[in-house]
Amino acid sequence: MKRYECLEAMLPFVGEDDLVVTNLGRVRDEWQHLRPSAGNYNVFVLGLCSSVGLGLALALPHRRVIVLDSDGSLLINLPTLTTIADQNPANLVHIMFDNQAYESAGGGRTHTAGRADLAMIARGAGFENAIAAESLEDFRATAQTALAGSELFFIAARVEIGSAPVPSNPYDAMETTYRFMRHLEQLEDKSLLSLAPPEYAIPPHLGWGRH
Amino acid sequence: MNETATETIKDALVEVGVNLVATLPEGNFQPLIEKLEAEPRIKWVPLAREEEGVGICAGAYMGGMTPALLLMNSGFLDSTNALATLNLMAGIPLLLLIGYSGGVSEFLWMHSQVGVATEPVLRALGLMYERAEKLSEVAAQVRECQALATITKRPVAVLLNKECLR
Repeated sequence: MKRYECLEAMLPFVGEDDLVVTNLGRVRDEWQHLRPSAGNYNVFVLGLCSSVGLGLALALPHRRVIVLDSDGSLLINLPTLTTIADQNPANLVHIMFDNQAYESAGGGRTHTAGRADLAMIARGAGFENAIAAESLEDFRATAQTALAGSELFFIAARVEIGSAPVPSNPYDAMETTYRFMRHLEQLEDKSLLSLAPPEYAIPPHLGWGRH
Repeated sequence: MNETATETIKDALVEVGVNLVATLPEGNFQPLIEKLEAEPRIKWVPLAREEEGVGICAGAYMGGMTPALLLMNSGFLDSTNALATLNLMAGIPLLLLIGYSGGVSEFLWMHSQVGVATEPVLRALGLMYERAEKLSEVAAQVRECQALATITKRPVAVLLNKECLR
């Protein structure tokens, strides 16, 4: 199966206000094409999308956070599985598309092309729900279960190498962050990006009060 | 760290509104980590590697929390790519509390090179930092560094050493 087909298959189960954190591969373009939203956040450090997703899930326990990860990305940050399982956030769904390759970096093989089984590693890390999906029907059913429920989920989806011919996402890391946080300000109805100095930092003799 | 040091630093974090602290176990830090774990105003996140803490803190910040990362300088050196590419390229602040292995007051030979590299690497990344060595000053230093991180949207480090570490 193709990654893009998986994204299409899960799309109906993703809520309008769900937050989606992606890694830096082409998955970010594919997802943004399918669900254009400032609620999509792209992480540009290989491996850290799952950690950023965990931080968001802890800060916003009432909101669904979906991580779109990959085999190469997860392998470089394997401790994340033990840390996520240790926190066990009920609002986090961690989806890992396994193409057995560092596709964006020249196509070299990852260890999942050999003997490594990341769903089994996730179970060993403490995920109670860690499912390997080999077919599109499996993936659709598993994604529906995970996204309809309220438990931590890990899904390992075995996909072919290759990306859909979608436009590249035009936002750099800074603009992605500002757009995402402005979006969250609206969703959460609170200020997140203020230019005001913290009150404790204002020298009292200035008598500024609150700015 | 002794009781005064752990209490002073924990209170300083609470005072500036820090409500999530990610940590990795370390001998000097252990009494402070236990205090953070027990503090109801702080969400304590134990890590398996420091770099993931940079990511967790970034997510928590975007979600409206005020995070801090407690790590030794060995873990700081491991986290430099994340600090550069996640925080500095995306305008994400972070209060770093960095234990100064191999700094002046070290007694173990194996930390020497990490100590030598720490401040040059902080400067190479363009990160502002304070050296905290006196308990009478550390609360103000935590306050000032957190304020600077907030207004600049960059990581700012407090280098903990001597009275503030041992």
